[in-house]
Amino acid sequence: MIVANTFFTRVVRTSPTVMIALLVVPVLGGLLGVLLPAFGWFPALGATEFGLFGFTELFATPGIERMLLLSYSTSLVSTLLAFLITILILASYFNSPWLKRIQRLLGPILVIPHAAAAIAIGFLIAPSGFLSRLFSPWLSGWETPPDWLFPHDPYGLSIILGLALKELPFLLLIALGVLAQPEIGKVLKQQHKVASSLGYCPMTGFFKVILPSLYGYMRLPILAVLAYSSASVEIPLILGPNTPPTLAVAIMQWFSDVDLSLRIKASSGAIVQILVTLSLLLTWWGIELLVKKCSASWLTNGAREHGGMIIKRFTDVITFIMVSTIALALLGMVFWSFAGFWSYPNLLPDQFMTMHWQSALTQMQTPLFNTLLIAFSSTLLAIVLTLLALESEQQSNKTISAVSGLIIYLPLLIPSIAFLFGLVWMFEQVNSQHTYLNVVFTHLLFVLPYVFLSLANSYRRLDPRFSSVAASLGASPSKIFWQLKLPLLISPILIASALGLAISFSQYLPTLLAGAGRINTITTEAVTLANGASRRTSAVYALMQMLLPALFFILAWLTPKIFSRARV
Amino acid sequence: MQVVNKICQHSFAGFYKALCYLLLLLLPQQALFASESQSNTAAMWENIEMRGTQQSVYFHAWGGDQQINNYIQWVAKQVKQQYDIDLHHVKLTDTSEAVSRVLAEKSASNHRNGQVDLVWINGANFASMAKHKLLALDWAGKLPNFALTNPENNPAMTRDFGVPTEGMEAPWGQAALTFYYDSLKVEQPPQTLAELLSWTKQHPGRFTYPKPPEFLGMSFLKYALIILNEDQPDNIKNKLYQAATAESEAQILPALWAFLDELHPNLWRQGHHFVSNGLALRRLSGDGELQVSFTFSAAEIPSAIARYDLPDSTRSYRMLDGSLSNIHFVAIPYNSPHLDSAKLVANFLLSPEAQAKKQQTSVWGDSSVLDLSQLTPTQLAYFDTTEKKHLSANIINVDNTRLLSELHPSWSAVITTQWLARYGVQ
Repeated sequence: MIVANTFFTRVVRTSPTVMIALLVVPVLGGLLGVLLPAFGWFPALGATEFGLFGFTELFATPGIERMLLLSYSTSLVSTLLAFLITILILASYFNSPWLKRIQRLLGPILVIPHAAAAIAIGFLIAPSGFLSRLFSPWLSGWETPPDWLFPHDPYGLSIILGLALKELPFLLLIALGVLAQPEIGKVLKQQHKVASSLGYCPMTGFFKVILPSLYGYMRLPILAVLAYSSASVEIPLILGPNTPPTLAVAIMQWFSDVDLSLRIKASSGAIVQILVTLSLLLTWWGIELLVKKCSASWLTNGAREHGGMIIKRFTDVITFIMVSTIALALLGMVFWSFAGFWSYPNLLPDQFMTMHWQSALTQMQTPLFNTLLIAFSSTLLAIVLTLLALESEQQSNKTISAVSGLIIYLPLLIPSIAFLFGLVWMFEQVNSQHTYLNVVFTHLLFVLPYVFLSLANSYRRLDPRFSSVAASLGASPSKIFWQLKLPLLISPILIASALGLAISFSQYLPTLLAGAGRINTITTEAVTLANGASRRTSAVYALMQMLLPALFFILAWLTPKIFSRARV
Repeated sequence: MQVVNKICQHSFAGFYKALCYLLLLLLPQQALFASESQSNTAAMWENIEMRGTQQSVYFHAWGGDQQINNYIQWVAKQVKQQYDIDLHHVKLTDTSEAVSRVLAEKSASNHRNGQVDLVWINGANFASMAKHKLLALDWAGKLPNFALTNPENNPAMTRDFGVPTEGMEAPWGQAALTFYYDSLKVEQPPQTLAELLSWTKQHPGRFTYPKPPEFLGMSFLKYALIILNEDQPDNIKNKLYQAATAESEAQILPALWAFLDELHPNLWRQGHHFVSNGLALRRLSGDGELQVSFTFSAAEIPSAIARYDLPDSTRSYRMLDGSLSNIHFVAIPYNSPHLDSAKLVANFLLSPEAQAKKQQTSVWGDSSVLDLSQLTPTQLAYFDTTEKKHLSANIINVDNTRLLSELHPSWSAVITTQWLARYGVQ
């Protein structure tokens, strides 16, 4: 398509470059800011000679093997678990109304920040938690809380539970999103029907016909989940062991240790963290190859039935356990936020009161304002950049190259703990004193990829004939963009905005570091309070953390409906 | 005059005594000089007051306690009224965050426009900042209200964990290790370290301490270290107050490790997991998982009861064999762009009004650092309050136990490293 050379088209044409630069420069700069100290260059401490002593020190840390193993195993097992359950749910409820219901039940979990989820799960599984109270003392005989394993168990089982519960809805939604695309979903559903008509039981049909095609579309999100969980901080910090902790948590503690020389060791740790993440991605790839090889003959052996009913029952049980775990965790948190003293083993608090909400709400104004200001700024930027970049794709008539496509994922694939500390150092170098801008800019790194992923499909799927007809009627590219495409895409744009807001709301480490600790948001307050203080106040903050994104998702979902109804 | 007094007090050798007399001969001139320098100081302070108004001060202070946060908000209101200063409380989860920030600024050659104007600090964080020359020098002694702490007779005001403060920080408050328990569940709480050990054997899993290097956990270990070395000869005991050496470590630490080896199997989670801070101890006490616990800010107990975080039957007490005590300070980083305003705030924090308010149990309950004998009757009136107190606010044994001084800060690092090597991986 030949495009006029107007101001609008020029802006559109440069936008992909701007977007890529905004993602690449901070990440690579941040990595550089960690690489230099990792190899011994840290002038502020008088260390100006390159060497490997940071790594020597790192590997001399007591329990370093355990830290590495813990990081590796918790993220691998939790991702595998989340993936398997996703597949089981899809297979068992494919073409059943239950799929929509489960999606609706789990969907909200997606927007719960990791810190809030960890707090809720901690409330559930602690010795004095909701679960133990449910069975005490009538069944267990416990009059005082038992001294049991969870949370903080040395094997990281609590971390795995927390991560898997958080990852599962994400993977499920990704899979459903793929199936919702007409050109893929329709074909797959037809193939499934053909398989059924050939006598395959629905479960087997799913595994043999749909999964192999579906998996290709899910691979990149799965890898992002794997990478994220290997280096996440909130869940291991709140639910994990500390003798020793996971590598990411240890790195964060070394970076903020009083003993400033630990910075070098922390930087070396960040480099090793990247290697851990890489090796996880390789492991996943290896498992993929193995499964492909082993299942090749099975896929084509023509067997119609592989214990479908048993798997279905099993999935029912798993789904029930999962949904009730989430429900109980949420219920427990709501109770705590209204509880007076709550002595063990009473199932309900001794008194109910609104005091904790009242006092928290009066103290919440500034953090709430900061949270909203930062989220709206970064989301607006992300939406504008994404729309322009996608428009440029259509004007130049080719999709973003594979390299750029991967770069969009960069901040999701590279452990944030590895580049954020370097990024703060970079802000220092350019002497950026505008903490708000620094935070918005850092949030953009995480908001932009999600907004792009969420919008790209709808934008690319928009029927090109609309634009062709409009252009042939003499409409300029900018008119087509503003008056045709945007109104048609209002619904996905609003959903992408809500997602962007939710991602920004949930950021802990980026806010803390880029904001120099000066900028308090609901999330930074919640994590600060979760590590101590009262269960009641942290329950209020965690619930606030959940309510905010939920509110905006509901708004995003309702607004187009109200408008379209008004038009009718 | 003050100089002479100080030298006389601290000198034992005859030589110094002679020197004192010599100095006494010079006294008239000295006194003259002093009064002149006093008026100088007053003029200087007026200058500071002039330059320091109408600015912002970023106060980096641990933000994990709502009561303390509310008190800082009150301070912000007062300095706004008095000096038109906008005090912003930057809530830290750990004071070391501020230390790292100033260091990062120094490494980026940001020597004038730092983000931290005032920081709440003591112990190892102070030692670290002082060592790396990250603090403004020689200002605290010149605050008008500093004299009210009576520093000549109160050497603790100018020493932070044994390290001379050299005017780099102004005292703000003081605290002592206080234990608490649920009186419905525990009839006779352990009153000495030895009793604590035997109590944990009878009640396994109901006591723990935060993982070092966390401040409160470290304080418990220091308390244990002092008590366990009580019977050693003085020359060895005194090494606790000097920089740790390989020799003194070998003499002093084995007793601690032997004690912990015996204690750990009966701790909460059999000592396989340690909580991350003192607030987690309080939460576990509220849950009933712990039955005896401890804190550095005794006033948090009645306020936690008022918020239902602890049972109404909680009582607090001090150990009979001694209670570790320390002073906490505020310091100004060397690159603060609002140096004068920060000094005004530090001076206000030391004022009788602010110190008295802070001491009220319903506000914060942190002990004042002022020497009440130095105050005028009007200033003293601030301290007269007839508060209605919860029973837990009356600390048992508060008058019949001694205060133990903090160790030299180098011991913290030594204890942490060796603790982590012994118990950090389980």
